[in-house]
Amino acid sequence: MSVTDKPTGSLRHRLYQGETNFRFISLWRRWFLISGVVILIGILSLVFQGLNFGIDFEGGTSWEVTAPGVSVEATRDALGPTGQGDAQVQILGGRRLLVEAAPTGPEEQAKVTAALAKLAKTSASNVAIKSVGPSWGGEVTSKAQRALVFFFLAIALYISLRFEWKMAVAALAAVVHDILVTVGVYSLSGFEVTPATVIAFLTILGFSLYDTIVVFDKVDENTKGLAASGRLTYADTVNLSMNQVLMRSLNTSLVAILPILSVLVIGAGVLGAATLKDFGLALLIGLLTGAYSSIYVAAPVLALLKEREPRYRAIRQRLDARGGVGRGAVLTPAAAMAASGGMDGAGLGAEVPAGEARAPKAPTPPRPRQQSNRGAPRPRKRGRRR
Amino acid sequence: MRRPLVTSLVGILVIAVLSVVYTQVVGNKPLLGLDLQGGVSVVLKPVKKVDSGVLNQSISIIRSRVDALGVAEPDISRQGDAIVVQLPGVKDPERALRIVGTTAELRFRPVLNVLPASDNPATTTTAAPTTTTTAPSTTTTTSKVPTPVPTTTTTTTAPPGGTATTPREQDQPEKTVILPETKAGNVVRRYQLGPAELTGRVLKTARAQFDANNGAWAVNFELNGEGAKKFDELAAKYVGRQVAIVLDSEVKSAPTINTANFQGSGQITGDFTEKEAKELALVLRFGALPVQLQAENSEQVSASLGSDSLRAGLGAGLVGLALVVLYMILYYRALGLVVLLGLALSGALMWSIVSFLSANNGLALSLAGATGIIVSVGVTVDSYVVYFERLKDEIRAGKTIRSSVDRGFARAYRTILAADAASFIGAALLYLLTVGAVRGFAFFLGLSTVLDVVVAYFFTRPMVVLLGRNRAFTEAKWLGVARGLAATSEGGRA
Repeated sequence: MSVTDKPTGSLRHRLYQGETNFRFISLWRRWFLISGVVILIGILSLVFQGLNFGIDFEGGTSWEVTAPGVSVEATRDALGPTGQGDAQVQILGGRRLLVEAAPTGPEEQAKVTAALAKLAKTSASNVAIKSVGPSWGGEVTSKAQRALVFFFLAIALYISLRFEWKMAVAALAAVVHDILVTVGVYSLSGFEVTPATVIAFLTILGFSLYDTIVVFDKVDENTKGLAASGRLTYADTVNLSMNQVLMRSLNTSLVAILPILSVLVIGAGVLGAATLKDFGLALLIGLLTGAYSSIYVAAPVLALLKEREPRYRAIRQRLDARGGVGRGAVLTPAAAMAASGGMDGAGLGAEVPAGEARAPKAPTPPRPRQQSNRGAPRPRKRGRRR
Repeated sequence: MRRPLVTSLVGILVIAVLSVVYTQVVGNKPLLGLDLQGGVSVVLKPVKKVDSGVLNQSISIIRSRVDALGVAEPDISRQGDAIVVQLPGVKDPERALRIVGTTAELRFRPVLNVLPASDNPATTTTAAPTTTTTAPSTTTTTSKVPTPVPTTTTTTTAPPGGTATTPREQDQPEKTVILPETKAGNVVRRYQLGPAELTGRVLKTARAQFDANNGAWAVNFELNGEGAKKFDELAAKYVGRQVAIVLDSEVKSAPTINTANFQGSGQITGDFTEKEAKELALVLRFGALPVQLQAENSEQVSASLGSDSLRAGLGAGLVGLALVVLYMILYYRALGLVVLLGLALSGALMWSIVSFLSANNGLALSLAGATGIIVSVGVTVDSYVVYFERLKDEIRAGKTIRSSVDRGFARAYRTILAADAASFIGAALLYLLTVGAVRGFAFFLGLSTVLDVVVAYFFTRPMVVLLGRNRAFTEAKWLGVARGLAATSEGGRA
């Protein structure tokens, strides 16, 4: 992230006060490049390496048993006589043994069960067995795909009605970004894809929309005040909104990630529950990319879309021509708040006059950006758009 | 202004307490899914497309089989064109899977003895029923002549080992058993049967047909290549005697073999009505179910592994919850305590609702559901963050805490509603459109979204507004709300 103003306090302090001044929007090329590269790598990996589907997709049998202190090698040796010596063996949380193999007949299955029970020094009834037909995973996938299509339609409709269709497009662009990145991460890392993974991930899409909508709600509020007044371009309004809700976004992401980390570290890592691992991993990746995309994908896409509207293009031209304070500087939220003071009566109307209220805080006044030459690429960009 | 707030706050607290008390008094408890308490689940799919009537019929047949197993909380449901059978807490999973999952095995057993319907020692020696009307008979397709043959050859002596009907679970192919024949739910007679000689696998197909020659319904069957040979061997051994067709520990028919040479196909004749003939043909084709079902997916979880998973889920949940609350308190101070209370309230309501649904709708809490709940902590706390950050905005804009809490909520609640609606749409769609235990995940996420909206309005708002009016609270050094909101410029000198 790039900071244009000299810090007036520690970053932590400014974050806390909502006085950061990150250029989320104007550097959109950079963010899109980063996302594009990540997605491209993911797609290449997908093409050449594919995904590591679990037995639920390929069909097969798995056994799970609590066996503290048993090694992978010992398990392989024990499985050798059953003809499953090359089955996939995993140890979860140091105590749970997970064996996965191609589909087996009932007799072979019983043999493996007996061998594992003996290895774990327990009875066969303590061995969990799962067997999956080859078409099951396919059905989960097709159901998930259908769910995804309806999800897109419903969300597009909802955001269009609640806000506007351009926000729906931007939000869905972020969701598509999340899907591509997650699929890429799964392909690159070779993490196993199970139905739990798919569903957990789908659920997290709704959850990552939460962040996007928090940002958009703020943009919506600000455009009614600042942008409508013609003092700020739409892009700058979005940028301002982003800075205003940054701490909110960070906090919501953090409190969402904490329990998931706990699922992953405590539930899967220490206590060794395989399902928790599948869930936790998909949720973590989905949340991280969701947090990123709501800031670096959804918001810039929205700004780019809206800047094409004649109304906001006119504001930009006028502000560019004036070339003054209002245009050049990306306002700090606090300053913008003050600037908007009088007109945004509904949300921000002040009992204490805005100026007075800020005075004791000695806030940073709006000031021109120092490296004004860095604005140079912008006219070019706009020229192309016209 | 103050009264409605207090009313709302007291109201929701009373509702929460009452619902917890109700749950305790009625004894509702969340039902644990089989991945948390051990058990068996199997997903059965018909091998070909069938209409829903056939599927529902299969479900009721499976249900009666499961009832015979004595499982406490069986869950047999339809999801799309699949039948999902969940049997938590089953003691012998293998047997349960065998009984439920496979199309029951059709067995051909020689009849050793025909016994009366009731297990009354005084009547054991009575002769077998007369053959005139009810005794079925078999003819070869080649002869086409229905020749009723006297049924019984080895009656009159009491069978060894008593005359009690063999319980279903002791009906093993290699044993001699006593099994009933029923008509319209009543036992009409029982048979003592020798070990199974053949299974339904010898059959290729079977069809009910009206035999115009003798004006009665009959069942024609065809045998497969290997089956034809085996069936002829059986016929040679028992020619002139009865062989019972047994399914689900019930004698479906006991025709007399009257030729040793079937050459791959045969006919069962007798006093069949059209319905009986069709049912018998179905039984011969599929076993008891009207359609052949295939186990797509089966899962057996041992009780110890289940309780292990439960511990893992609980542990992860508690640690996650503690981390979130700790962070909230560090970051928002006294407002963090509001989060703690709010979560406790949500938790109490969630517990009561889940318990209620468990008791009344058979909702089971699976590991996936538990994860959904853990994740939903994040969703719930998000709304607090949105609200509190909004408060910070308002205070920074120069307002007092007192006035910020009201306006801040109004604005934040709109955001919360918008965001929760999106989450809820996602969860609802997933719930409706997916299958399997993972539905639980979507369900609990959706439920917590709804609870979040309710708790935010009826608890968080009045709580924070009332706290905001309390000077002692906003100005207290360590728990000061002002400090939590970083309103260093304001009255609260934290």
